[in-house]
Amino acid sequence: MTTAQSTPTIKISLMGRIMAPIRAVLDNPVLAVPALIVYMIAVTLILLGLNRSDPLFPLKSSLAFPPLVLSPFIVLSAKIDWRFKGLLVLAALFIFLPLIGMYDSSYFELVIQICIFSGLALGLNIVVGFAGLLDLGYVAFFAVGAYLWAMFTSPVDTYFKVNNMLVSANYFYLFIFLGVAVAATGGILLGLPVLRLRGDYLAIVTLGFGEVIRVLAVNFNSPTNFTNGSQGLDGVLRPTVPPFIPDIIMRVDQTLGIPISNANTLAQQMLFYLVAIVIIACIIVIARRLDDSPIGRAWTAIREDEVAAIAMGVPLVRMKLMAFAMGASFAGAIGVLYAAKQSFVSPESFSLNQSIGILAMVIVGGIGGIRGALFGACVVTLLNLQVLKNLSLQINNFKNIDAVMPPWLVAVILAVVGGWILWKLLKALWSFANRWFGNAKQAEQVRVVVWGVLVAAIALLTLQGSGFRFDDWPAQLEPAKYERLVFGILLIMMMIFRPSGLLPEPRRKMEMTAAKAEAEDGAIGGGG
Amino acid sequence: MALLDVRNVTKRFGGLTAVSDVTMSVAEGSISAIIGPNGAGKTTFFNLLTGIYVPDVGSINFGGRSLIAAGMEAQSDDGVIVGSINFGGRSLIGLRPDQVNAAGMSRTFQNIRLFPGMTVVENVMVGMHSRLNVSLVRTITRLGGFNKQEKRVRERASDLLNFVGLSGQGDEICRNLPYGAQRRVEIARAMASDPKLILLDEPTAGMNPNESKDAMELFRKVRDERGVTVVLIEHDMKVVMGISEHITVLNFGQTIAEGTPKEIQSNEKVVEAYLGRHAAGSSRAEGEA
Amino acid sequence: MVSTRATTDRTITEWLYRYVLFPIGQMLVFIVGAGVVVMVLAYLLAFLFPEPRPNIVLVDQINRQLPGMLIAGVSLGFVYAMIALGYTLVYGVLKFINFAHSEIFMFGSVIGYEVMRRISDAGAIQSWSPPLLIIVVVSVSMVCAGLLAVLIERVAYRPLRGAPRLVPLISAIGVSLLLTDAVRAIEAITRNEFNLTYPTNDLAWLKTPLPLAFGETTVNVRITSIIIIIGAVLMLVAMNYFVNGTKLGRGIRAVSQDMTTASLMGINVNFMISLTFFVGGSFGGAAGSLFGMNVGTVTPYVGFTPGIKAFTAAVLGGIGNVTGALLGGLALGMIESFLNGILVYFPALGQRYTDIFSFSVLILILIFRPSGLLGERVDEKV
Repeated sequence: MTTAQSTPTIKISLMGRIMAPIRAVLDNPVLAVPALIVYMIAVTLILLGLNRSDPLFPLKSSLAFPPLVLSPFIVLSAKIDWRFKGLLVLAALFIFLPLIGMYDSSYFELVIQICIFSGLALGLNIVVGFAGLLDLGYVAFFAVGAYLWAMFTSPVDTYFKVNNMLVSANYFYLFIFLGVAVAATGGILLGLPVLRLRGDYLAIVTLGFGEVIRVLAVNFNSPTNFTNGSQGLDGVLRPTVPPFIPDIIMRVDQTLGIPISNANTLAQQMLFYLVAIVIIACIIVIARRLDDSPIGRAWTAIREDEVAAIAMGVPLVRMKLMAFAMGASFAGAIGVLYAAKQSFVSPESFSLNQSIGILAMVIVGGIGGIRGALFGACVVTLLNLQVLKNLSLQINNFKNIDAVMPPWLVAVILAVVGGWILWKLLKALWSFANRWFGNAKQAEQVRVVVWGVLVAAIALLTLQGSGFRFDDWPAQLEPAKYERLVFGILLIMMMIFRPSGLLPEPRRKMEMTAAKAEAEDGAIGGGG
Repeated sequence: MALLDVRNVTKRFGGLTAVSDVTMSVAEGSISAIIGPNGAGKTTFFNLLTGIYVPDVGSINFGGRSLIAAGMEAQSDDGVIVGSINFGGRSLIGLRPDQVNAAGMSRTFQNIRLFPGMTVVENVMVGMHSRLNVSLVRTITRLGGFNKQEKRVRERASDLLNFVGLSGQGDEICRNLPYGAQRRVEIARAMASDPKLILLDEPTAGMNPNESKDAMELFRKVRDERGVTVVLIEHDMKVVMGISEHITVLNFGQTIAEGTPKEIQSNEKVVEAYLGRHAAGSSRAEGEA
Repeated sequence: MVSTRATTDRTITEWLYRYVLFPIGQMLVFIVGAGVVVMVLAYLLAFLFPEPRPNIVLVDQINRQLPGMLIAGVSLGFVYAMIALGYTLVYGVLKFINFAHSEIFMFGSVIGYEVMRRISDAGAIQSWSPPLLIIVVVSVSMVCAGLLAVLIERVAYRPLRGAPRLVPLISAIGVSLLLTDAVRAIEAITRNEFNLTYPTNDLAWLKTPLPLAFGETTVNVRITSIIIIIGAVLMLVAMNYFVNGTKLGRGIRAVSQDMTTASLMGINVNFMISLTFFVGGSFGGAAGSLFGMNVGTVTPYVGFTPGIKAFTAAVLGGIGNVTGALLGGLALGMIESFLNGILVYFPALGQRYTDIFSFSVLILILIFRPSGLLGERVDEKV
């Protein structure tokens, strides 16, 4: 069956036509820099111009915000001098994004969440991408870091509070390092018995371990209260904001005259943002150094052929442990940051869903690459925390203003979506029919005709109607609650069409697709 | 004094005895061959030497001293330690393949097992792993001689590529290389760990006579210029007779003959094993597999 | 359950023995064995901790609860065994863990709900004879779940055959997520409901427990437990016959041993794989609807925990080994039922830890004996 081969060509040529002029600009060293600067300023201005009271606000901000967040990746893909690249990325990170954040703190909140997940994706990337170990319980290390800070600072009546073991907020930076250490130790302890297992088994065991940690967190409140169970730990301390931050904010406010609603929250967010960027920068440097070293090469060797690797002198378990411990340590550090930012920690944030979400980020972005992991984290977090949420909000807004979707729009949507589904169904059915017809070409023609008729029928029928009243949208069908659906479709599509991810490292791309090609050559039943 | 001393090694898989009471001795600096029909147990024997399988009977020692590793001495059923694999003073039984590599014994595979997505030079660099100081701290901080070591690694890899005749192809992705070149990369990679003994598993399989001749030159070079003892499994009799100084013949997991090429050529049991009982009565097997 | 003897049967008695008596006998052995182990553990615990809480004498509690625990354990065990079959069949044929199987189980329970609900809405639920109702509900959910499994294989796994191991695994995770929310969406659109409650409250014959006397104690056995046990035994016997006694079953076994050679022998490998998914899926679906009837309410998220536990059972018995799935399921079900009953009396631990127990068992087996109790170790040829 050649489904995997026919559809991408259509997609590529469409995408190709859209991308061509953009690529032309980005590849031109003279045009690219001004174009990028104009792009970033333009998007920023658009965002600044949006008004919350506008009923279409959710839709508009979902369309305008991602391009700003993803702008560093566009910069990196342009063919310009690395110094310009650096400057533009720094501008995006330290000028444009904070500006938007100052204007509307919910954007800042989003950006910090993206940073947190970026750190987690980078950490998981070392385990899954570099060493090839499928860890489905990665979130456990994140939990360890978060609970570490929470337990030592929360005023809730835990063992630590009762025994006067709480620390002051200034220990935050020390605890980031402690989080690294504790999580790394956990990684080694978990890894020792578990890393001898094969891929699928390792996945299940780590999944089980992740669940065990979560259940422990829920139940570790008797006889001695460590985690306060499912109620979680509240009032977790935040580090004090150094004075230079509010100063800068005030100065910017005065020069640009942007109205700032809550200066204190803003200063706090700014601090977390800066800490997050520093942590991520460290992670990136460490990851790159690991990659370009005997350790990185050993990991790649293990990934490609374990038996050959060990025969060449690579100590499998020790190398795998290193990957595990490194990945865990990053999660630990980010966990401490997360606990301080949320000021509240509960077992719900550390579910299997989260682990899968982080895995989805690494996969969507492109297994093995640092840039891919970051890109994946941005895309998935935006999808989850902004796009889906805003879709829900938008639908609610439409309900409130009694909006009605015009019939032609309904017709178009149904025809496109329904048409795609129908096409797939017909192809599947027809592969049976091919045997009856005997003539594949004839079958193809019949199929196209039937498909065309069906799609036209859908379109006509919906045009007859009076459109779709948003009031009729079922209350239970809130898009924000359907992140699993989106993840699921995303994972399946990525595996079938682009297993190497959206921003793959060139070497991994060859790894993933070549193996498939070889298999299709020699596979039994690889064809229809 | 034998570099590798193997005694009475046996390996069973369920009801099948793949290697049965094999004894073999490899002199330092020699080129020897192990031959035998398909399924005779040759590759299983290599796997026993390199730690991929653990023998049921026998221990493996590396040259001279008998140091049984990690309590994993193989014994016969009545508890007597029978047999050994001796390599340069150490017992190899119970050692993992990477430890065997670190002890100085390296190998290639029957079906080429290069790391397909990595470049040629990266493959060779991986081969050096057991000789390197691999430390997490030094890798992250780039201190403590890390950069010097990396430079040395690249230089050595480049030298090895020159040695096998692949200079200038270091950045090719292995998957894209022609078969003969891949074989040479495997040898370079196996030599990267600076071994005392190298095991080559059917290194000329699939080669035409010219390529085989070049391969033979390379094997000689490995021993002559780098002082590495060579043991090969081979089917190509021209190669076997051409370069080996000592041949061991296996069939059904057992040693049926050993000696110099001339002795093997005229050995009736060997001819029978390869060509069947009728051929044994008639002419000597002259370079015919 | 996988017999290596030739499948040519000569007489009726031979046939009866091999395909009916032997499997049922095997099941009894497993049940009795697991039961004995559980009883020993229970009394051992009672011996070590005679009074875990004030005024609670453990031995008395055990005596009173044991028959009930055992029956509940057997029925739970059969449910796990049926789900585990799905994992083990697919693994045997494709060497691949079908993550999405837990959602196929969930799908079966939802279909069972839909069927029963529609019959109930039509006002006919009282007029149907009990066996007929059960058979219809279970069969429909079996067929639907089986077809779903085949569809999933076609769409999400077949294009990925031959890709590195990670890829189909991730796709399976994606399918699992997709199914969960797809079912949730459909139920949200059609019924605007999240919790789906089986309309079994009006069925007197279902709701009234059956009192069974064991010596002095009388245990109220739930009818659903009996239904599960009978249904499971019938289905497992039928499946054993199918796998070992029919040509199609032989084909499946051939494909699971060596796909290439099977194909060279003229077996349509793709069809066999689809068939395997159908059989495995249908058992998951049957387990789903029986589970739904037993528990009463199902949600789209109901598949996760039983799925993991059934997977543990499959691994415990030896993944790829059909008898192993049965043994593992029964063992796990028994032990879990026992834990549920006994741990209540230990104040420090509580019932909440029974779920971790399965995970811990899983982790421990995979570390110390990955081939399971009955399984085969598969070595890679170098």
